[in-house]
Amino acid sequence: MEMPVADKVAGLALKPGVDAWWWWAFIPAMALTALLAVAVSWLFAKGIGVWGNNNPVMWAFPIINYVWWIGIASGGTFISAFFFLMKATWRTALNRIAESMTLCAAACAGLYPILHLGRAWFAYWLVPYPDTMGLWPQFRSPLLWDFYAVLTYVISSALFWYLGLIPDLATLRDRAETPGKRLFFGLAAVGFHGRGEQWRHYRATYGVLAALMAPLVISVHSIVGLDFAGGEVPGWHSTQFPPFFVFGAVLSGFASVLLLVIPLRRLLGLGAFITERHLEVLGRLMLTASVCVGYAYVMDAFSTFYGADEVEHRQFLERLTGLYWPVYWATLLFNVFIPQALWWRRARTDPAALMAISLLVVIGMWFERFNIIVGSLHRTAMPSAWGDFHPTFWDYATLFGTVGLFFSGFLLFVRFLPVISIFEMREMQASGEKP
Amino acid sequence: MTSPIPPFGDPWERRQILKMMAAGLALGGVSGCDGDSDALVPAVMPATDMVPGVPGLFTSASVIGGYAEGILIEHRDGRPVKVAGNPKHPASLGATDVFAQALLLGFYDPDRARGPTLNNRPVGLSHFMTALDKRRQHLAETHGEGFRILTGTVTSPTLAAQIAQLRAVYPGLRWHQWEAVSRDQVRAGAQLAYGRSLETVPRLERANVILAIDSDLLSSAPGHLAYARAFAERRNPARTQHMSRVYAVESMPTLTGLAADHRFAVSPPDMPAVLAGLAAAILRDEPIPDGAPPWLAGVAADLKSHRRGAFIHAGPDQPAETHALVHALNEALEGRGHSFDLLPSAEAAPLDQRASLTDLVRGMESGAVDTLLILGGNPAFTAPVDLGFEAALRKVAFSVSLADEPNETSAAATWHIPEAHPFEAWGDARAFDGSVAIQQAQALPLYGGRSQNEMLAIFNGDYYPDGYSMLRRAWQDRLAGDQPWRAALMTGVVEGTAAAPVGDALRPEAAAALPKAEKSAGVTVLFRPDPHLLDGRFANNAWLQELPRPLTKLVWDNPLLVPPALADRLGLAKGDKAALTVDGRRVEAPVWIVPGLADDCVVAQFGFGRRRTGSVGEGAGWDYFQLRRSLGLHDAPAKLEKIPGRHVLASTDRRGLLTETEREAALARQSTLASFLADAQVLKSPGAAVSVTLYDQPPAQSADMAWGMSIDLNACIGCNACIVACQAENNIPVVGKEQVAREREMHWLRIDLDEGSQFQPVLCMHCEEAPCEVVCPVGATVHDAEGLNGMVYNRCIGTRFCANNCPYKVRRFNFMAFSAEEKRPAQSRNPEVTVRARGVMEKCTFCVQRIAAARIQADIENRPIRDGELKTACQSACPTQAFTFGNIRDPDAEVSRRKASPLTYAMLGELNTRPRVTYEGRIRNLSTDAEDG
Repeated sequence: MEMPVADKVAGLALKPGVDAWWWWAFIPAMALTALLAVAVSWLFAKGIGVWGNNNPVMWAFPIINYVWWIGIASGGTFISAFFFLMKATWRTALNRIAESMTLCAAACAGLYPILHLGRAWFAYWLVPYPDTMGLWPQFRSPLLWDFYAVLTYVISSALFWYLGLIPDLATLRDRAETPGKRLFFGLAAVGFHGRGEQWRHYRATYGVLAALMAPLVISVHSIVGLDFAGGEVPGWHSTQFPPFFVFGAVLSGFASVLLLVIPLRRLLGLGAFITERHLEVLGRLMLTASVCVGYAYVMDAFSTFYGADEVEHRQFLERLTGLYWPVYWATLLFNVFIPQALWWRRARTDPAALMAISLLVVIGMWFERFNIIVGSLHRTAMPSAWGDFHPTFWDYATLFGTVGLFFSGFLLFVRFLPVISIFEMREMQASGEKP
Repeated sequence: MTSPIPPFGDPWERRQILKMMAAGLALGGVSGCDGDSDALVPAVMPATDMVPGVPGLFTSASVIGGYAEGILIEHRDGRPVKVAGNPKHPASLGATDVFAQALLLGFYDPDRARGPTLNNRPVGLSHFMTALDKRRQHLAETHGEGFRILTGTVTSPTLAAQIAQLRAVYPGLRWHQWEAVSRDQVRAGAQLAYGRSLETVPRLERANVILAIDSDLLSSAPGHLAYARAFAERRNPARTQHMSRVYAVESMPTLTGLAADHRFAVSPPDMPAVLAGLAAAILRDEPIPDGAPPWLAGVAADLKSHRRGAFIHAGPDQPAETHALVHALNEALEGRGHSFDLLPSAEAAPLDQRASLTDLVRGMESGAVDTLLILGGNPAFTAPVDLGFEAALRKVAFSVSLADEPNETSAAATWHIPEAHPFEAWGDARAFDGSVAIQQAQALPLYGGRSQNEMLAIFNGDYYPDGYSMLRRAWQDRLAGDQPWRAALMTGVVEGTAAAPVGDALRPEAAAALPKAEKSAGVTVLFRPDPHLLDGRFANNAWLQELPRPLTKLVWDNPLLVPPALADRLGLAKGDKAALTVDGRRVEAPVWIVPGLADDCVVAQFGFGRRRTGSVGEGAGWDYFQLRRSLGLHDAPAKLEKIPGRHVLASTDRRGLLTETEREAALARQSTLASFLADAQVLKSPGAAVSVTLYDQPPAQSADMAWGMSIDLNACIGCNACIVACQAENNIPVVGKEQVAREREMHWLRIDLDEGSQFQPVLCMHCEEAPCEVVCPVGATVHDAEGLNGMVYNRCIGTRFCANNCPYKVRRFNFMAFSAEEKRPAQSRNPEVTVRARGVMEKCTFCVQRIAAARIQADIENRPIRDGELKTACQSACPTQAFTFGNIRDPDAEVSRRKASPLTYAMLGELNTRPRVTYEGRIRNLSTDAEDG
């Protein structure tokens, strides 16, 4: 029972050559990454005017994409850290994929706050470093909190992911057949040999980091919510934003995990480890998150109309019926109504249905952020400054470019690193539990 | 298009700049106390009275349609950088219009003509002189038979005298005049009523009831800045005991109409009935005849009940008979000497310009004209289309076009001689009241241009004329010696030249004058000048191109303006294309829907669609001169039909036609005089704002100074002078049509037009609890001790959160390198204001550079800054003094007194931003008898 996990997973990482499907996925992903490089070069050459951002709609695609990616990233952290602490055994088969997804998504997210700056080359001014002029960042700004929150999150996610990999890297080192691979995995395994003392330190560190990561996933999305709630803009200025953003983030996080796990399970032949039960659990989680998000949408409408602010009323009605009405209704449909199908067990266990629902949720969550950002900014309290937002080619190029970047990174992980935590699976099997 | 070779190579090469700067320095000497050297010699050592960094101020005049408006030109290190109004000039009173402000950009325009051309090929000036010498021999032989001069309207005594001199040499010479923005009907009306051309000068400060018929009184009439000032004096009931009441009857909304208490839209075919009704009620005490609109009785009764205090004004697009009848009505209302005066015309030779031009073209066609000198203007573009001016011009053997840029006329003329810019030419011109202002050259001609006076001297055999000494000679009797001359230059007005009212009696037939009613089956097209390009002369001025039109907020385009009902009928939406046919001639252009336009009227604003102009104006808009015939200069029957296609139009107001929701959302407050008299607090918000803040950091109370502004919406007429003044003062870039369509215009100050009738200037409110400040992660926007919301460009990294969080949406972002891409020399910018780079936020600073200058001066003199000594650029340009700026800590300051007005409110004050800019809401003096039509 013990050997198949390690054989299978280590074999996937160590085998020479590449499957045809991998190339079919990797080449388009790299092409999109190249598009991103072109888009970013053009952006730096001309200024952010290459995008559709304009006077009332000062924030648009870059911030939407940022919130979207950081939301997607939450899925991995939630599964690996939160359920680790809860001692949910089913997470073992999923956490490596989920964490890798987090890392790639967080990297994509992390690009945007810098790209969206008018003068990106001064992004480091957000760092509170002592300088000769005595200048400090402005600590009252939610953007600054956001900068710290995201930085902390990205660094912690990377550490958490790497720490989780170390025993498996050691396994790969021991199994590698070529000197090059031995060297690579040997360096990466930082001398882990599986001694009892090493395991003791390892577990303590991992536990502490998991305990840190679990609140971080809440804090980072709350603070992203505060970027908006802290503003005076009608449609943003709402105390429900922090939990609302956490709900939305985990919804898209679970959906993205499903979106990656279902094809991988099939393409890599991991059906023995990632079972129907995993899909079902993820389906339940997605349903829970969807209900929470639905609650937030209802409260959004309720608090708007419970309040007496004419501007908020007008803006909300504009969302329902104005220029961007399809986006609003698609948000409701994709994030709340369609996921209700997951109440049925058949939907939760049917990979095709889960894929479809997850894909719609991921799109729906992008739409939700479009609503919050563009929808609020384009109709503020100042009617003479109302305006519409029209994305340009470069907006789309940047968005899909980061999708390419995400998949490029993720596919490299799939090819070269163990996609399932070997040592945790072994432990679990040793203790006689089923995956 | 040919590209003339500049005479000195690259005009901005170092030597050239030095030359220009030196010219400024030398000129400083001319009008200063250095003695009057008539030669402009480059100074190796600067003049003794010149302190680097300290601006010099010189008087001059901005001349539009012949009429002068006194201006002050600010020099920095010898180069003009800013225009302001001349407080001592009667047509300015310290204010300017948009054109005077925009002169500056025209002066530095790199597209200006760079040298003489012969049949569009660059040649040397000596080449022209040789040819002219021969031509003059020919003229001498024929006694000037066939020699014609074409000018615009001329008020300049010197120019008129020169033409008279030339005529003495060449008795056959004839002088023609043509302005496309025609005032022929005003002249003809006075002719009918008084037998000669007279200037009606309203005394609006004394008028209780004003009826404005298609009036240009506040927008473009000679003297409009002075009229606007007087008008505003009677419009704020918190400051005047007797608020005037204004009725406007007009086909298309004018600035006067939008400022009126009651506005009635009447299309030209219906106008005679209105006038007939007024004539019956006022001249003959008869009841209003049937067929007149129902509101007319109330208007007529109101006018009659305010005898002496009533005044009727008709605009230049009204027929001569209307003007004659209005003269009769005004006389009958006994306002002469009280609510208006009659002055002799300021024009040197008033004549019927349409007839004059027609006569000239006939002569050109028949070959009777063999020598034509066109002084300024662009008749090949602006002449009535049926005359065929351009083709006729090509037949003239020797034609000379003096023009500042290569244009349609210069292309068709034999010779094109570059005209000196008003900043390069010595001259003189009269204001509406006859007073003469000396136009001072501010620099040597950048491209070797000649002034109109110099050109006439050249034709008179003085091949190397000197404009300065010519002018001195012309004024040697009146301004004998240096002292009076210098006094005239320093005040900007030649003392004692203002005209006194005349005593001409009204001819009895004026009372019987009545325009004919011409009902047309289709629509009526109204030909009006574009409010910023006029007849197209400013087409290459980017400031004026990108200045939102008062009514439509459109920039860079002149679509046909159609009323909503007509648009509905034809199925036209904004931007849809339509074909307008007038007498077989057809122009296809997009439409824009304008509420308040009389039904069945289409407005074609000419001035766009230039065929030959600089790179700025090229390809902008449509040329409606192609539809304008000599017998339909102001309106004509036309056919409008929808055609397939759409065109992207850029307007800075993206709301479209206001829906009910949008109308309710409007932020400019207004009420009626009756409500105000019943409750002075009528415009105040219910419930006082509570000052609770998350961050307990009240603005420093210790500072002696707290800058604040009050804007009087009763005074604002939406003329846009403040916007251009701000643009010039603060180096605000022009971004082009595409960027405006993308909603990225950069103006720090905008004028909102709410509910179709209420102008509201909006600039940074300098909130005491500024939402922009707390959200900037790097502290690039901060508060200073005097309450300014400062913007530190160097610190800005461009997160744009501040702009999102600004409830007033007054922050502007450099999405691209807008300033760097402007075709404008660095020398033309205000050196006191940072030119902003790509990627930084900017906004109104309350002209912090002016505050700093005033503070330095006050510190030197060891005193506080005095109230009124410091004006922001918008404030100083404003003709109606709608802006007041000053220290709100000082209870006696004008701004404090205005803020204490019961009409004062803070826009979006409920957000607790505590703005330092407050508004005085608009009060309308509604009549109980008249309902709006």
